[in-house]
Amino acid sequence: MKVSQERKQGGIARQKDTDNVIYLRERSIAMLKKDLILRNPLRILGTEETEPLREGEFGAVLAKAGVGKTAFLVQLALSNLLRERNVLHVSLTQPVRKVCLWYEEVFHNISTEYELKNTSELWDTILPHRFIMTFNVDDFSVAKLEERLNDLTEQGIFFPQLVIIDGLPISDESRETLAEMKILAREMGFPIWYAITVKPDDVLESGQIPASVESLSDLFEVLIGLKAAKGRINVMVLKGQADENIEDVFLDPATLLIKNSE
Amino acid sequence: MKKDPQKVRNIGISAHIDAGKTTLTERILYYTNRIHAIHDVKGKDGVGATMDFMELEKERGITITSAATYCEWNNHEINIIDTPGHVDFTIEVERALRVLDGGVLVLCSVGGVQSQSITVDRQMARYKVPCIAFVNKCDRSGANPFKVVEQLKEKLHHNAVAMQIPIGLENDFKGVVDLVKMKAIYFEGQQGEQIKIDEIPAELMEEAENRREELIDAASMFSEELMEAALEGEIPEQLLIDAIRIGTLKRELTPVFMGSAYKNKGVQPLLDAVTWYLPHPGEVQNVALDLENDEKEVILKPDPEAPLVSLAFKLEEGRYGQLTYVRVYQGTLRKGDFIVNSRTGKKVKVGRVVRMHANQMEDIEEIPAGYIGALFGIDCASGDTFTSPGIRYSMTSMHVPEPVISLAIVPEDNKSQQNMSKALSRFAKEDPTFRVRVDHETGDTIISGMGELHLEVYIERMKREYNAIVHTGAPQVAYRETITQKAEFNYTHKKQTGGAGQYGRVAGYLEPFDGEFEFVNKIVGGAIPTEFISSVEKGFRSAMDKGQLLGFPVTGIRVVINDGQAHSVDSSDTAFQAAARGAFKEGFKKAKPAILEPIMKVAVETPSEFQGAVMGTLNQRRGMILGAQDEGDTCVIEAEVPLSEMFGYSTDLRSITQGKAQFTMEFSCYRQVPKTVADELVKKAQEKNKKAA
Repeated sequence: MKVSQERKQGGIARQKDTDNVIYLRERSIAMLKKDLILRNPLRILGTEETEPLREGEFGAVLAKAGVGKTAFLVQLALSNLLRERNVLHVSLTQPVRKVCLWYEEVFHNISTEYELKNTSELWDTILPHRFIMTFNVDDFSVAKLEERLNDLTEQGIFFPQLVIIDGLPISDESRETLAEMKILAREMGFPIWYAITVKPDDVLESGQIPASVESLSDLFEVLIGLKAAKGRINVMVLKGQADENIEDVFLDPATLLIKNSE
Repeated sequence: MKKDPQKVRNIGISAHIDAGKTTLTERILYYTNRIHAIHDVKGKDGVGATMDFMELEKERGITITSAATYCEWNNHEINIIDTPGHVDFTIEVERALRVLDGGVLVLCSVGGVQSQSITVDRQMARYKVPCIAFVNKCDRSGANPFKVVEQLKEKLHHNAVAMQIPIGLENDFKGVVDLVKMKAIYFEGQQGEQIKIDEIPAELMEEAENRREELIDAASMFSEELMEAALEGEIPEQLLIDAIRIGTLKRELTPVFMGSAYKNKGVQPLLDAVTWYLPHPGEVQNVALDLENDEKEVILKPDPEAPLVSLAFKLEEGRYGQLTYVRVYQGTLRKGDFIVNSRTGKKVKVGRVVRMHANQMEDIEEIPAGYIGALFGIDCASGDTFTSPGIRYSMTSMHVPEPVISLAIVPEDNKSQQNMSKALSRFAKEDPTFRVRVDHETGDTIISGMGELHLEVYIERMKREYNAIVHTGAPQVAYRETITQKAEFNYTHKKQTGGAGQYGRVAGYLEPFDGEFEFVNKIVGGAIPTEFISSVEKGFRSAMDKGQLLGFPVTGIRVVINDGQAHSVDSSDTAFQAAARGAFKEGFKKAKPAILEPIMKVAVETPSEFQGAVMGTLNQRRGMILGAQDEGDTCVIEAEVPLSEMFGYSTDLRSITQGKAQFTMEFSCYRQVPKTVADELVKKAQEKNKKAA
């Protein structure tokens, strides 16, 4: 009897021990995440408190071809993924594998830049928050996207909190598509960031909306421009009330990582 | 045998399952007069295609082992390796690619670039194999070869360029327009053996000119001469061919040919292309490792007079004993010569040397550099290097993936038992991804491999080729165990009651590690005498063989020892090994052990209407869906799913998609099992152990 009581007590003591265990692995991942969020130059585009876009609102990154729109948006997505927000990345120009590669590449560059270790575990924790959908640009329609989204949400597979749309061609006729998209975004409750390629003769200057997007600009709450300059790619606010410090950040042309000039 | 290495092409034909590679190979052999009748893969005549010589392959319409064969075309000797299309057999594809100089990527004009084509393409890239593409089945309804060219660009990132345009498509497919010669080619006669060259039909002229323009643009990137000639408007045929060849050899250009092997169209121009655009052995740099010189890389010379370096890339049990396929990279392999197996150091005499033609063979005297042949009566494992006596080179090791699935097998009777042992030792030698072991606790024979189908095929082969009937248990996933945090140990092994005593104390800590295992000795002041440090390491290593959660191997651990104690009389090698095992057990429990499971990369191709349902099935199976690729009527869903959840998936997928979807899967990585699942597994393992006890 005495023996069993001792055992019982031992059992309780052990249980208590485990209650106090701090799991180093979880803690180190959480710290790594926090660290990355704090060091992320993109945090001026939104933290828990200051999201630049609310549900149903649109933001866009505007640049000429090949300047770094996708890299910018992937970093925006990663900064949301680190905060455990679900990101749906829709690409109309690249296959799933290529989009995955973008994320891997950018994540790898960030890890190298900040000399992070054990990033594979961090990567595993953010991956479930990302979903990639690709469409042929000619076959894409809002109805189709809605159908696919319903497939995901009805089965409880994925609920996007932020949507990124890369490769949607923009012209005067796009208003109808964007308006439909706006309704979808409001109904489903997420903001959308677009990557928009501007025309070669468009002028990208801070506070100015390029001619080719002007007629649609009322649909967007925030417009950000990327422009290649000497040794860097400048980031500027064309429309919206993003943090004024945004003009301190730029894209490193070698890694396409967003950096702070300070 | 002729000895002009410039006229040799060692090529592989790889593709997605059912894209028609075996049929294509069959036609190639027919047109090169190696066979005199054509049989189909799923033949009504009951003969089956010549390359699919295993009964099982004929029955299932798939190619399992890659048979090597040779043929001649335009004074060139072409060695062809027919490779399997199913992903479970990729080791065969990888081995074939190791010995090839060029590849023909066969794609279906309806299905296009499918997920397996992506796997095959990645493998080709790994071994830097230049390739040309053949868009097959242009006679099928829904054929669209230019869509495939686009997919090659988009999905595989090839700089693909059409070398031909089809004359008619689907039922009206008649022939092709050659964009280099600007002529129409028709295939006449009963088996398409008569080639008729004609003018380009007027209605196709404009398209042909436009496509030729694209071809010249792409090719002129590799030849300034061609660029100048293009500006002048006068392009000599040979100049264009040479430029395309340069681009292809650099893997920066992929010429695309079109046809229908089944309807005997487009095969001969493809053979011409093999001789024109793919490299001869002298144009490919092969590297060996010098085992005498710290594994320094040595570039091999494709010189038949240099010392021999050859690779045994495939073994087969033939009617007359073991048949070893070899590729000679340097020197000449002659009948009667002595050669050395650089792995074992054994010297062997070369007996019969043959040249293979699927399952028939022809005796030859020697195999010179750059050629592929086969030897009889050589005892070796696949992947062994044979050299002339005096040098010890090894061909770079091949990438061999670890098996991910196991199956317990029990022979039906005594006779089957004997035959089973014979078969298993043969298979394990032939295929490095197929492993056999005996579970000491249950006494079961366990076979492991790369997937359900992989193991199924071997079970079938045992029955058919060796008359060994075996019963199988449920497939078992190869779990691993690891620790997730640092934990200390301090263990004393003491047995000093009568007889020779045993004493050893080991202290230190375990911590997670990125590799398999690392042992760090931080003992100062001789707390454990130097002679016993290796015993301690041995003890830890042996403890790693079996974890305490499920009994699976433990991985990812660094052991650091920093203290201990020895006894002047009672300490011994055995005592310290036992102390280390005890210490490991103690530390492992405290280090929050976890179970790792193999995660498979799964790609499902399905008609769009089933997309939601397919995603649902993957989600139910603990799958993480990476993305969905919409391709008009069809879509591809890519996901990562634990292997343990994938059993029986093909049946489920068939039933929810009315058989219209297909999937491929390959091993991706090991990942920690969620806690609820892990608890369940541990519980099951405990129950099993209780029963066994």
